[in-house]
Amino acid sequence: MTDLVDSMLDLMRRLPPTRTEENVAALLNICPDYADDLLGSVDQPLQLKTDLATGREYLACDYNRDGESYRSPWSNEYDPPLEDGTMPTPKLRKLEIAANEAFDTYRELYYEGGVSSVYLWDLEDGGFAGVVLFKKTMTPSSPNEPSGSWDSIHVFEAAERGRQAHYKLTSTIMLHLLTRSSSEGENKQGGQRKVVENLKRQSEVNLSGSMTRQNEQDWPIHDATSHISNTGRMIEEMEIKMRNLLQEVYFGKTRDVVFDLRSIDDLEKTRRQRELQKELVGLIKR
Amino acid sequence: MDEPRAQVAAQFLLQSPPGEINDVLNDIRTIIADDDLLQEESLPVLKKYNLEQFITVDVPNNNHQSIISAAAKVSSALDEEERFLDPRSKTTFAFDHISLEASEPLPIEIDAESEPFRASLESATLTYLSSHYYDGVTSVFAIPGNPKQFNIQVVANKYNPTNYWSGRWRAQYDIDMENNSVVGKISVNVHYYEQGNVQLATTHDVSFNLPQGIIGSQESAAASKILALIGEEESNYQQSLANSYHDMGEKTFKGLRRALPLTRQKFEWDRVTGYKLGAELSSSKGLFTNSS
Repeated sequence: MTDLVDSMLDLMRRLPPTRTEENVAALLNICPDYADDLLGSVDQPLQLKTDLATGREYLACDYNRDGESYRSPWSNEYDPPLEDGTMPTPKLRKLEIAANEAFDTYRELYYEGGVSSVYLWDLEDGGFAGVVLFKKTMTPSSPNEPSGSWDSIHVFEAAERGRQAHYKLTSTIMLHLLTRSSSEGENKQGGQRKVVENLKRQSEVNLSGSMTRQNEQDWPIHDATSHISNTGRMIEEMEIKMRNLLQEVYFGKTRDVVFDLRSIDDLEKTRRQRELQKELVGLIKR
Repeated sequence: MDEPRAQVAAQFLLQSPPGEINDVLNDIRTIIADDDLLQEESLPVLKKYNLEQFITVDVPNNNHQSIISAAAKVSSALDEEERFLDPRSKTTFAFDHISLEASEPLPIEIDAESEPFRASLESATLTYLSSHYYDGVTSVFAIPGNPKQFNIQVVANKYNPTNYWSGRWRAQYDIDMENNSVVGKISVNVHYYEQGNVQLATTHDVSFNLPQGIIGSQESAAASKILALIGEEESNYQQSLANSYHDMGEKTFKGLRRALPLTRQKFEWDRVTGYKLGAELSSSKGLFTNSS
């Protein structure tokens, strides 16, 4: 049973991130009994929705879904409306409102745009859990400019232990980048020697994916708002760490692999130079 | 009911990253849990994958590899076994799409009219590969029925499962010496999957007309000149890819999320929660422990 879930997750780790939604849907058709396992473990791009009561945008994911409806963190209403949709207790909702306000300020400082949403829910063992979401998309100003989107999903569990609380955080960041370009017309190559005519080019570069990291920490609690500052600090640290990691993997590692396949410089020339150098070193030693 | 399940699952194979086809196949085997049924559904998909992805094969009795692709398929009668051509050694062979091994090599008669220029293109491509590819494999085909058309295919793979990455560079060029045109396509796929799943997928279509100087020259000289043009286009493309990386990193990535707020200070959580929101909530000390 767990083998099957592991295999589904391994598969999702290998298939193209640009097709996650379509592939999750296909897997759900193949294994409908494992829908909860799959939807709970595979992060999908956050959907942007508009709160009908306030007109404000919010983010929809599996954590604020009940049936076919999604709850808005701003009005606490389900869309489409639900009579008995799952709600946090009034106390937790109070904290949820405060958390939404705090993380929205955080969002403005780091993302300078985009949308945030925080959802909290009670846990059976007495603690509570929550998810902090950020999404920002960039649309290109001209056809040859890159476009992109960033989705942050921070899921945490909080357990109070006297004046301390223990937090477990799992963070996933999905980053999609796309560049399209095309050119047409006569173009010179290699100086005056060769001139090709009627040169047409069309390119697409898609750099997409997600990375996930976990962290556990204990923090002191003074009052209920401590949970916001505690998880806030953990999430801020995590986002700073993961942003560096994404930068390294996206723009460093994947680029290095391309340059491990093909070289712009002439490899034969390099080989000949190295051999010549070896010969020279040999001559000097003699 | 069961047949569509395996059919749907087998289609995942087409999306497999470079060098990970067996991992994807193993995942699907666990999910479907019916090897006989899956084998039946997966074989045609594996064939399609191998042809699309320019899978390389050791040519029997030779020290080189050739490319499995639609162009390499030898047309045969319907009831005959599918065979593939290695134009370099002028042999055809049977190919196992699961073990990726060739067998039963047979010599093949080559079209005498197109062979000299095909061989020139092949030798120029091999020279080009040794200059710009780390582990490049090529097959250069003469298009059956048209002695003036040729197809150059190139592939390079790097698989590094211990460090969770793999990459593939594929390129092909249709050379038409009648219309003096080159139509090419480059595709690059990279997968990085250490605690994540990051993929680079690029396509680059290019076409151009051959300059007059090439059309008039001798076969070996013309072939070298064509490969020089292809090499320049590929290097230009690789450079433009490097530029795209730079643009996406400098413009898009930085625009999506800042490294630090404009103030260069981290977020002041105590100030936000302590002063602004604290007043309303501070009464509920110990959110759950003292629920009354």
